[in-house]
Amino acid sequence: MGEAGDIAIEARGVGKRYRVRGHAPPTLFGRLASAIRGRRPDEFWALREATFEVPAGRTFGVIGPNGSGKSSLLGLVAGTITPTCGRVTTRGRVCSLLELGAGFHPDLTGRENVFLNAALLGIPREDVRRRFDRIAEFAGLGPFIEEPVRHYSSGMYVRLAFAVAAESEPDVLLIDEVLAVGDVAFQLRCLDRIRELQRRNRTLLFVSHALQTVEEFCHEVLLVHRGSIVARGEPAPTILRYIREFMGEGGPVYTQEFGTREVEIADVTFRDADGREAAVFETGWPMHVDVRWRARGRIERPVFGFSVKTANGLYVFGSNTQIAGVEIRAIEGEGKIRLTLDPLTLMSGQYLLSLAIHSWDHARQFHRREDWYPFAVRNPTGALGAFFLNSRWTPPSQG
Amino acid sequence: MTAGSASRIVNTRLGARIEPSGPRVRATLELLGALVGRELKGRYKGSALGFLWAVLVPLFMAAIYVVFLRMLVGRALTPDRVVVGVFAWQFTAQSVQAGMASVTGNANLVKKVFFPRWLLPAASTLAQLINYLLSLLVQFAVLGVLAARGAAAGVSVDPLLLPAAVALLTMLNFGMALLLAAAHVHFRDTQHLVGVLLSAWFFVSPVMYDLDLLRPWLAGRPWLEAAVWLNPLTPLLTGLRAASLDGVAWLPPPWAAAGLAVAPATLALGAAVFRRAQRHFADLL
Repeated sequence: MGEAGDIAIEARGVGKRYRVRGHAPPTLFGRLASAIRGRRPDEFWALREATFEVPAGRTFGVIGPNGSGKSSLLGLVAGTITPTCGRVTTRGRVCSLLELGAGFHPDLTGRENVFLNAALLGIPREDVRRRFDRIAEFAGLGPFIEEPVRHYSSGMYVRLAFAVAAESEPDVLLIDEVLAVGDVAFQLRCLDRIRELQRRNRTLLFVSHALQTVEEFCHEVLLVHRGSIVARGEPAPTILRYIREFMGEGGPVYTQEFGTREVEIADVTFRDADGREAAVFETGWPMHVDVRWRARGRIERPVFGFSVKTANGLYVFGSNTQIAGVEIRAIEGEGKIRLTLDPLTLMSGQYLLSLAIHSWDHARQFHRREDWYPFAVRNPTGALGAFFLNSRWTPPSQG
Repeated sequence: MTAGSASRIVNTRLGARIEPSGPRVRATLELLGALVGRELKGRYKGSALGFLWAVLVPLFMAAIYVVFLRMLVGRALTPDRVVVGVFAWQFTAQSVQAGMASVTGNANLVKKVFFPRWLLPAASTLAQLINYLLSLLVQFAVLGVLAARGAAAGVSVDPLLLPAAVALLTMLNFGMALLLAAAHVHFRDTQHLVGVLLSAWFFVSPVMYDLDLLRPWLAGRPWLEAAVWLNPLTPLLTGLRAASLDGVAWLPPPWAAAGLAVAPATLALGAAVFRRAQRHFADLL
């Protein structure tokens, strides 16, 4: 358990270099052939010059585009990956949820796998025996605990594995994107368990694409890009930087842009209820989008439109000034228009905003940016589901 | 396996290690036990006959060798010696094959969890040893039946020589498991090479024959005799026969101690190679 002021994870100039060897597994013949041809394998640095400290009892998030080195970082902390240079020191008992159920054997029952997995995590057998009932209850498998895990659904598999890890009382818990699996109720229980570990001063290192979860749970965030830690700091501004610099234009999101550019979208700023620039918004509160435009000439009766999609492409909503009954006579030069969603009825998750400016009769697209602006939503209301419905109960009348 | 609260994992260019580096005997033994249990349970749960297969396979093979070799070389060959040889050979061959795949077959584990990697080949060899020890019971039952029917010499267990020979054979098998497990991660074509070498080794070792059968060839060719004795399986199999059967003398020439020394030497080499190679396991799996 961490004392205040202790450093739980300390990385000093850590680098990890990989040799690129294509998809084929390494072979003796392959090695000999490339040695004879005198070809040196291509190399790339998955992580370079990483230096950071995680104080005991803190929760750190690691964010960044796919392939930026996040998982290598976690593997280096866990001790499974050997660094090419530098040193990582992790104090206390480490438990990684890098891949839940990695040690499960399909032919063994849930009970047998609990003991096996616990042994791999270094938990003494007596402790597991004592806590077995709690583990089984947390996993919620009922009589299936005596069945071979071969017959489990993927959700049951993950539940059992998380139950073992959560009950293992680690000093340092490494979590890699595993909470994305399982049903909503189980995810909430996992998050509860994570909060409990935080309360008990455990150190957590958290890799996730769920930016709203990172913002909610982490004390600090490391932003990794192309193997370098490019930023470290408070969650909100670091996530904002990630979204602005690495997710939007040219980022991992598939975006499109087209139009005549007679008037173009020059600059877009997301603002929260207090008017501060933000990237993560809360369900039930206003979200503002300030769109600055620049026109080459005079444009008669332009229409500004927007649409919102979920990160996996579900079209949520689309509208424009024409539908909303806002007629803009004409624009010229530069200016700003504000789009407000109030209250925001999206639930937790990542979303993509598209913006467009077109003519009144839709004949001319001036500028359209499709899926160009990512943002995240955090739902503190406790309600579940895909969208927030403004609902109300009428108390029952007696008699 | 991870460290206790007071310890830490230090991960450098030379690989991750736990500090302070005191022995963690209990945790290591518990994990080893769990891994062996997984091997054994996993192997026998899938088939209805379970453990019986582990015994039936060498029995069938011994029967086949006896029948065909008798057709080739006549009555010179006694079934009891073949049974002892084939059971021991099965132990070695299975240890080599399973040991080679012990790290590559647990890629998920090696990539995701930090624990002493040598436990994987160790668990694999230990599971094979348990198998062999159980099959020895069957072996002696079979030898007893053969002796009762007059088809073989009497059974006599040497309480010192038998455990010593089994221990040395296990040492040899564990050494090869370490060596090949590491090699298989780095060179995935190791398995083809090992398949070929295993069949060659089977024929040059006195598994289905014993040294008496070689006498005519060995006479007058001392270098050939030396080569035969340097194969660690020659003194080990002969020792196992001497430890199990009446009338088998075990008097290797003094210099054949080199053949026996191959077993600990293989273990030392395997341990050194494995220790160095394990740093890159997660990168190559």
